[in-house]
Amino acid sequence: MYNLLAQTDGNGLAKRLAEAFPPPTIDWPSILPIALVVCTGIVALIVEMLRPRQNNNAIIGFSLVGLFFAGLSLTSQFASPDLESFGGMVLRDRFSLTIQLLVVMVTGLTILFSDGYLRAKRIPFGEFYPLVLWSASGAMMMASSKNLLMIFLGIEVLSISLYVLAGMSKTETKSEESALKYFLLGAFASAFLLYGIAFMYGATGSLHLDAIRSAWNPNDEAFRNMMLFGMGLMLFGLAFKAAFVPFHQWTPDVYQGAPTNVTAFMAAGSKIGAMAALWRLLSASTTNVDLGATFQSYWMPALFWIAILTMTVGNLVALVQKDVKRTLGYSSIAHAGYILVGILAHVNNPEKVGIGTTVFYLLSYSLMTIGAFAVVSLTAKNGKEGTRFEDLHGLWKRSPFAVGCLIVFVASLIGIPPTSGFFGKLMIFNDALASDLMPLAIVLAVNSVLSVYYYVGIAKAAFVDAEGARTPESAPMNLGLAATCLLCAGGIFAVVILFNPLMNWLVGAP
Amino acid sequence: MGGTNIELIGWVPALPLIGFLVQALLGKRIVDFFGERFGKKLMGTLAVLPVFAAFVLAAGIGMTLSEMGPLANNQVVTYFDWIRISGLHVPYEIVVDPLSITMALVVTGVGALIHLYATGYMAEERDYTRFFTYMNLFIGAMLILVLGNNLALMFIGWEGVGLCSYLLIGFWYKDLANAKAANKAFIVNRIGDWGFMLGMFTIVAFIATNAERISPRTDRLLSFDAILPALTTLLHDHPAIATVIGLLLFVGAMGKSAQFPLYLWLPDAMAGPTPVSALIHAATMVTAGVVMVNRMHVVFEFSPVASGWVAIVGCVTAIFAALVAFGQTDIKKVLAYSTVSQLGYMFVACGVGAYWAGMFHVVTHAFFKALLFLGSGAVIHAMAHEQDMRWYGNLRKYVPITWLTMTIGWLAIIGFPYLFAGFYSKEAIIGGALGNHHAELFGAPVGVYTGWLLLFGALLTSAYMTRLTFLTFNSGAERWMNPATYEEAGTDHHPHDDHAHAHRHHAHHGEDAHGFFYTEEEMARREALAPHDHHHGLTVEHRPREVSPSMWVPLAVLAALSTGVTGYLMHHGETFKHWLYPPTTYNETGLSMIRNEPVVHAEALTGHPHGWVGSALVFLSVGAMLIGAIYGYLVYFRRLPAREGFDLKRWSGFRRAAREQFYYDGFMLKFFVTQGGAAVGNVLAGMDKYVVDGVVNACGWLASGLGGFFRQFQTGYVRAYALVMLIGGVALLVYFATVGQGVAR
Repeated sequence: MYNLLAQTDGNGLAKRLAEAFPPPTIDWPSILPIALVVCTGIVALIVEMLRPRQNNNAIIGFSLVGLFFAGLSLTSQFASPDLESFGGMVLRDRFSLTIQLLVVMVTGLTILFSDGYLRAKRIPFGEFYPLVLWSASGAMMMASSKNLLMIFLGIEVLSISLYVLAGMSKTETKSEESALKYFLLGAFASAFLLYGIAFMYGATGSLHLDAIRSAWNPNDEAFRNMMLFGMGLMLFGLAFKAAFVPFHQWTPDVYQGAPTNVTAFMAAGSKIGAMAALWRLLSASTTNVDLGATFQSYWMPALFWIAILTMTVGNLVALVQKDVKRTLGYSSIAHAGYILVGILAHVNNPEKVGIGTTVFYLLSYSLMTIGAFAVVSLTAKNGKEGTRFEDLHGLWKRSPFAVGCLIVFVASLIGIPPTSGFFGKLMIFNDALASDLMPLAIVLAVNSVLSVYYYVGIAKAAFVDAEGARTPESAPMNLGLAATCLLCAGGIFAVVILFNPLMNWLVGAP
Repeated sequence: MGGTNIELIGWVPALPLIGFLVQALLGKRIVDFFGERFGKKLMGTLAVLPVFAAFVLAAGIGMTLSEMGPLANNQVVTYFDWIRISGLHVPYEIVVDPLSITMALVVTGVGALIHLYATGYMAEERDYTRFFTYMNLFIGAMLILVLGNNLALMFIGWEGVGLCSYLLIGFWYKDLANAKAANKAFIVNRIGDWGFMLGMFTIVAFIATNAERISPRTDRLLSFDAILPALTTLLHDHPAIATVIGLLLFVGAMGKSAQFPLYLWLPDAMAGPTPVSALIHAATMVTAGVVMVNRMHVVFEFSPVASGWVAIVGCVTAIFAALVAFGQTDIKKVLAYSTVSQLGYMFVACGVGAYWAGMFHVVTHAFFKALLFLGSGAVIHAMAHEQDMRWYGNLRKYVPITWLTMTIGWLAIIGFPYLFAGFYSKEAIIGGALGNHHAELFGAPVGVYTGWLLLFGALLTSAYMTRLTFLTFNSGAERWMNPATYEEAGTDHHPHDDHAHAHRHHAHHGEDAHGFFYTEEEMARREALAPHDHHHGLTVEHRPREVSPSMWVPLAVLAALSTGVTGYLMHHGETFKHWLYPPTTYNETGLSMIRNEPVVHAEALTGHPHGWVGSALVFLSVGAMLIGAIYGYLVYFRRLPAREGFDLKRWSGFRRAAREQFYYDGFMLKFFVTQGGAAVGNVLAGMDKYVVDGVVNACGWLASGLGGFFRQFQTGYVRAYALVMLIGGVALLVYFATVGQGVAR
C-alpha cells in the first residue's frame, strides 16, 4: 500500500509517515531460534495430549529435534553480521548467539536425563517438556536483546515456567514449598528490577542500553542519582536471579525442594540467562573517563564486595551441609561469584580482558553442574528421593559408570587439571590479575581450596559402602542418564582439548 | 667390519632393550611353555645374544671410527626430537667418539661375558627371566648413559642404571637385608642425583643467560657437541662458575661411583647376586661418574679448585676403603671395598687432569674386577653359598680353573709389573698425579700429595688382595672340614647349621612392622613349599667341584684380557691416550682443534713426572706392591692367623675398627637414621601435631564455624529471606548514593 501511494504522490502521506515512523527492520533469522524453541514447546504440548498413556518418548523426541534445529539455526548465523532488528528489540551478535547456544545445549542435556528420573519419582508429567522449553526461550531472550523491557520479559518467561516446574512434584511438600518460596521471592525481586528499569527510563527517556550508556552525566547530580538508583534496583533484581549474596537465600531451599532435573536446569540455564543479562547491563553501564567520574566507579566497588561475599559465603556454608542438593546449591552460589569476577574483570578493562573467559566458564560450569545433578538424580526410586550424603552410599557398587563420571564432575568443580573447571578458574584468575582486581583473584584462589572439602565429600559418599539394611534406594541406570553423563564428562575434557578452535568459533577472537 | 655404518649405532642400545622387552613380556610364558630346563636355556641364550650382538656392532663401529682419523672421529647421530620447546631442544642423539665407543665396548663386552656366566650361575633360580629382564634393561640403560649425546639422555641412563641396580640388589627381595641394601643404594644415590641435576640446570641457565656470547647460537642447551665449545668460550671468564658446575657434577659422580662419604651403599649392594656385583657394582655402572667427568672435563680444566677436591675425595676414598678391606672376612665385601678403593684411583686421575688415565683404569679395572667378582662367585657357588673366607682354604685343589684365573686377577689388581694390565693403568694414574700441576687447593699442589698417598694405597691393595687370595686358595687347611678346630667361644658362626645362619639373618622379619617381609614361620613354610635355592648349607662333608663351562669360560676370557697383553697394547706408544685425546689435534694455545676444548695442562696427559721421581716411579710402585704381597704371603699363605679367626675378641683393634668401617657407617646410621632421625622426627612430629595440625584444624574450625554462623540466617522463612534481601538492596543503594566512586577508573 505504501508503494501504491508513493507512486501517485512523490511527497505524499506515505512518505511522510515513513519518515516520521520508519518501519522497523525485520530480520526473521534473529528470532528464529527462540521461535523454534517456543514452537517446539507448543508442539510438545499437543503431543502430550495425544500421547499414549504416560509415554513421553515422542515428546522427548520432538523436543530434542526442535532444540537441534534451534541450535542449527544459531550456528548458521555465526557468520552473519551483528544486527539489531525489530526496532531495537532483538539483537543478534556473537555473544547472544553463543549464550543461546549454551541454553539450548543445557536444555537438551536436561531433557535427556529427565525421563528416567521423573519415572522413578512417579511424576512422569508430559508438561515438564514444554515448560522447560519455554523457560529456555526466556533465558534466550535475556541474552538477545539490549532493550531492558525485553530483558525483563525474558526473565519473567524464564521464571514463571520455573515456578511451575519447581512445584511439579505435587505430592511432596518440599517441592511445593520450594515453588512457593521461589515465586514469592522472585516476584519480590522482579518488582525491584522493574522499578529500576522505570528509574532508568525516567532518567534517560529510553529503555535501550546504548542510550543509557550515552546518557550518563556525572555532573548533573539529580540525573546521576536517578540513574544510580535505577542501577541499584536493577542489580538487586539480577543479583537475585544469579543468586549473589545476600540475595541468595532462596537458592538452597529451592534447589533442594525442586525435582532434581529442574534444579539442574535452574542451576545451569537460568544462571546463564542471568549472567548474560548482567553482562549486557554492566558493559552498557561503563563510560569513558572523559566525562569525569565514570559510571562504573560507582557500582564497581559494590559488585566487588558482592563478588567476595558470594564466593566466600557460598563456600563456607556449603562446608556444613548434609544434603547433596543443598551443597550443590551453595556450590552454584560460589560459582556465580567466580563468574561475577570474570565479568567484572572484563568490564573493568575491556581492552585487555575479553568476554571469552566468562563464556568458557559458563559452558564448563553448565556441563559439570548438569552432570553432577544427573548423577544425584540416581538416588530417586519408587517415588522417593533421598538427597542426603548417606543416600549416595554404595552408589559405586550400583552404578560404577555414574560414579566414575561423578568423579570427573567433582574434579572439575574443584578445579583439578586437566578438567575444564581448572582452566576456567585459571582464566578467571588471570583475567582478574590482568585487570587489577588482585584481591578478587586471591579470594577466588582461597575459596577454591575451601571448596575441595565438600566436593570431595560428595565423591567420598558415593564410595562409602552402604550399611546393610540402610541400603538406599536408587533408580537403575538408564540410557538417557548415561548419555547425559557421558556427554557432560566427555565435554569437560573435550572443551579443554578443543579449546582454541572452540573459543574461536564461540567468541570469534581468542 | 671396518666399514660398519656409524648410523647403526642406534641399534647398540636398542638391542639390549629389545632383549629386555622379550624377557619381560615373553620370558615367563616361554619358560612355562618349553618347560623349566629347555625354557631357561632358551631364555638364557636370548639374554646373551642381544648383548653380544651389540658388542659386535659396537666393535665394527669402533673400527670405522678408528679409521676416520682424529679430526673426524666425533660424530653425532640424531634420531628424533625428544623435547622441543621454545629455547630448548633435546633430541634423541648419540655421540660416536672414542670415549663413548670405548665405554660401549666395555659395557657390551664385559656385559656379554657376565650374562653368559649368569646363565650358569642363576640356573637354579626360580625367577630366572626376571633376572635377565633387569640385566638386559641395565645394559640398555648403561649404553644410553655412555652413548647419549646430551646430559638429559645421560641422566636417563643414569637413573635407568640406578633403577636396575636397585632392582637387582633387591633381587631376593623377600630377604629383609637385601631389601634394606637396595633401599640404601637407592636413597644414597638420590644425593648424587641432586648434584647431577643441579649441575645440569646450572649449565643450562649459564649458557642460556650468556647466549649472545656464543656462536653459533644454539638451543640444544644439553648436547655435548653444542655446550662443550660454548662452555669453553664462557667459562674462561667465569672460573667460579666452573667450580660450581664442577663440584655439583662431582657430587653426582660421588653418588654413582661410591666415593667417600657416599660410598656407604656399595658394600651393602653386594647382597645382590654375584653377576650383578661383577657387572654393575664393579665393572660398569659405578664407573659412570668417571665417564661423566671425562665427558665434562672442560669444566674441570677451568677449575683447579674443583679438580683439587676431586683428587682429594678420590684419594681419601682409595685409602679409606683399602683400610676397611683389611677387616672384612666376607669375600665379596673385600672385593666391594677394593672396588671403592679403585674408583678412588680413577677419580684422582680425573682430578689431576690425567683424564685418559682414569678411563684407562676404568677399562682395565672392568676386566680384572669383573674377573675377581666372577671368580669369587664361582668360589661361593662351589662352596654352597658360603661367603666367609675363614671357612675356605686350599681351594686350589678343588677348583683349579677358578684358582688360576683368580690368580691372574689378583696379580692384575696389585699391579704385578709388565705382565698384567693393572700395572699399566695404575702406573699411569700415580705418574699423572705425581707429575701434576693442575689440581690446586689454597695454593697447594694437592695432586702431587695424592700421588704419594696412592703409592701407599698400592701397598695396601697388594696386601689385602694377597690376603684374599691366599686365605681362599691356600692357607694350609680345608677349614670347613674341621669346624671344631676353629670353633671357639664367641664363634661368629658355624657351617653345620646354615639354616640357623640363614634364619638369624631373617630374625628381623618378625620385627618388621610393615608387613611386607615374611615372618620367620612364614619364611620356613614358603621354603618348605618351594626350596629357596639361595641358601644351601655348607657341611663338613662338602667337597667343592669346579663350576660349569658357562661359568669358567667367561673367567678365562676375562683373565686373558687382564694380562699384560691388553695393558701393553693400550699403553705402548700411548695408544689409549691418543685414542681418547689425540695429540695431533691440539694447537699451541692448548685448545683441541676438534672440539675446541681446552687442554689447559697438556703435560698432565704425558702421564709421567719429570726428574728423579719420573725415573724411579716404576721402582717405587713395584716396591710398594712387593711389600704388600710379601706381607700377605708371610701372614696368610700357610694358615688363617688366630688373630683373624672366628673369635672377634682376639682381633687387633685396628682390624676390629676396620671391620666396622671405622664406625663410620654406624655413626651415619645413628646420626641420620636412628637418633638424629628420631630427634628430628620428634621435632617434626611436634611441629606437625601442634603447629601444622593446629593451623589446619583452626582453619577448618574457622571455616565450618563461619559456615555455621551464616547458616543461622538460613531460617527457611520466606519473610526472613526477603528481609535479608531488602537489607542487602538498601545497603546497595545507600552505597551508591553516598560512598561510591572508589575503585580505579
